[in-house]
Amino acid sequence: MSDTVATTNLVPVTVLTGYLGAGKTTMLNRILSEQHGRKYAVVINEFGELGVDNDLVVDTDEEVFEMNNGCICCTVRGDLIRILGALMKRKTKFDGIIIETTGLANPAPVAQTFFVDDTIKSRTKLDAIITVVDAKNLPARLADSTEAAEQIAFADTVVLNKTDLVTPAEADAVEALIRGINRTARIIRAEKAQVDIASLLDQGAFDLSRVLEHLPSFLDSDDHAHNDDIISMSFEAPRPLDPEKFNAWIGDLLAQKGQDLLRTKGILSYQGDDRRFAFQAVHMIADGDFIGPWKGEDRTSRIVFIGRNLNRPQLRRGFEACQVN
Amino acid sequence: MGETVSADHILETRGTSAQFDAHVIACAFDRQGVAAFGLGDGTVRLNARATPLSWLNADAHDGGLLALAAHPSGQGFVSGGDDGALIRTAADGSISALAAFGSKWVEQLAVFADAKSQLIACGVGKKLVLLDGKGAILKSVEHPSTVTGIAFDAKGKRVATSHYNGASLWFVASKSDNPRRLEWKGSHTGIAFNPDGDHVVTSMQENSLHGWRLTDGQHMRMSGYPSKTNAMSFTRNGKWLASSGAESIVLWPFFGGGPMGKSPTELAGGDDVLCSYLATHPTQEAVAAGFNDGLMVLADINNARILPIAAPGRGAVTAVAWSADGTHLAFGTETGFCAVVDFSKR
Repeated sequence: MSDTVATTNLVPVTVLTGYLGAGKTTMLNRILSEQHGRKYAVVINEFGELGVDNDLVVDTDEEVFEMNNGCICCTVRGDLIRILGALMKRKTKFDGIIIETTGLANPAPVAQTFFVDDTIKSRTKLDAIITVVDAKNLPARLADSTEAAEQIAFADTVVLNKTDLVTPAEADAVEALIRGINRTARIIRAEKAQVDIASLLDQGAFDLSRVLEHLPSFLDSDDHAHNDDIISMSFEAPRPLDPEKFNAWIGDLLAQKGQDLLRTKGILSYQGDDRRFAFQAVHMIADGDFIGPWKGEDRTSRIVFIGRNLNRPQLRRGFEACQVN
Repeated sequence: MGETVSADHILETRGTSAQFDAHVIACAFDRQGVAAFGLGDGTVRLNARATPLSWLNADAHDGGLLALAAHPSGQGFVSGGDDGALIRTAADGSISALAAFGSKWVEQLAVFADAKSQLIACGVGKKLVLLDGKGAILKSVEHPSTVTGIAFDAKGKRVATSHYNGASLWFVASKSDNPRRLEWKGSHTGIAFNPDGDHVVTSMQENSLHGWRLTDGQHMRMSGYPSKTNAMSFTRNGKWLASSGAESIVLWPFFGGGPMGKSPTELAGGDDVLCSYLATHPTQEAVAAGFNDGLMVLADINNARILPIAAPGRGAVTAVAWSADGTHLAFGTETGFCAVVDFSKR
């Protein structure tokens, strides 16, 4: 695979999600008004609130389309396929594209668009999904909606905004709530949506080589969730994996449980290979490749599932059974 | 193919070309024989048959150009852009605004002209807007999702649109806003009408084509493409539908009971390079087709002979058009290469 050569020319796309009132638009305005010397195209669905000089703003209606490829949970954003395709034909080359989704949007169709459409794949790359949450109102949003948890589950970075409106102890509690849903996301605390732009854009969170970069070292936690709550589970396998066994297991798992598995990420040690194999999936759509050699003696394979109705013993047994005997 | 003759022979001996620096979105000829190329930088580049070596530039759009067609009056061109404007460009390079749609993109265009009427149809978000040649809006109808393709029938009586979950068929003159809905699940990305007006075909996100026989609503599924079909074009007699998206020109037979149960004819294959754009000849059973590596060929459908027009190397071919009399061919590439080739007898 010539990934390293090809990906350098791909325009990075950042997806910005978050509940209404969390501070998404304020943060976007801050990003765009900063003197960063870069040119962005911003795809939004409500025109008018942005004050933009140098950048291009595209007004769209989110169009979530089902794919007829036999995969029931495979949906894409049809409007993005058209818009990104057209932006790539403009003479002006953009340093990045930012897609703001509506407050109630599920990020899965946006993410899947970058895996499914060949034209989009050949010109752009999904850089990161950033979810803005409101430190004061997040517990209430998690209680009264499913979208708030889904947006956190899909996030590579969670901006914990409005921390000035809560006590440090409350902020810690909210952060623990986020961790319970998504163990691999980076969490950035912010007041009044003030975040350093460099920490948000060009993260390469969907690069296979950085798949598990933000995985904390603690792997165990209590699963005190209800069945339909979204949680993270991670597993380790000390012995090398048999690639055939792993492919058969993960293929079957994603086919059976893909709707419940929002994101899956793993770094794997294959028997007889000195390179790390990186794996990621959004629902049923999976992607994987070798990403360079292992460093040091420890070649523990690790995998993280973020989703609903996760059966810990079953997943553990399945993953461990992929090891060579 | 003669080994001593360069694949650029036709381009070198019968062509006029220029290298611009933006993606060629579309090209067209007006009835005076002027060729126009719409580019991703918002410009329209004009090349007149009378003065083939000189090119005129029109700064048509403040942003990117998204669609271009000949103006139905027979003189000049009409284009849509991401500036929300519908612009007329005259053969001398002067521009005038026909309509403005604010922040919505004008992404799709189709035109129709006969002795009685001049029609411009444009896709603006979910709307199909029908205008006369001067830009007066005759009709504006809404779809459940964005319009991704527009095609008039050969008589200009009906106009078909593609969108999510199917196509819609509107009567141009009807006061009613109820279209005939042609339903098929999935995302339809382009549309073509056959010359007899009894078949409509769409291209789909899933690398396939879908068709409807209008007399009885019979569905047709044409699949097997390795990538999306960007161009579909019926031959003048309606016998063949030529399509891009495979490593050859794929021609579906619309005769002898086809395309149902028939295999397509494939021409100019063998190089493992995708056919990226094509246009059928306006009178003959022939198709001009471009490939992802920049190769441009003319294929005779009946004897399967392939005439190279331009060699690979100038970027993927993204636009192809014939003049109405079939004597001239225009094509453009993603790197901004634009060419007009004269096929008239000498």
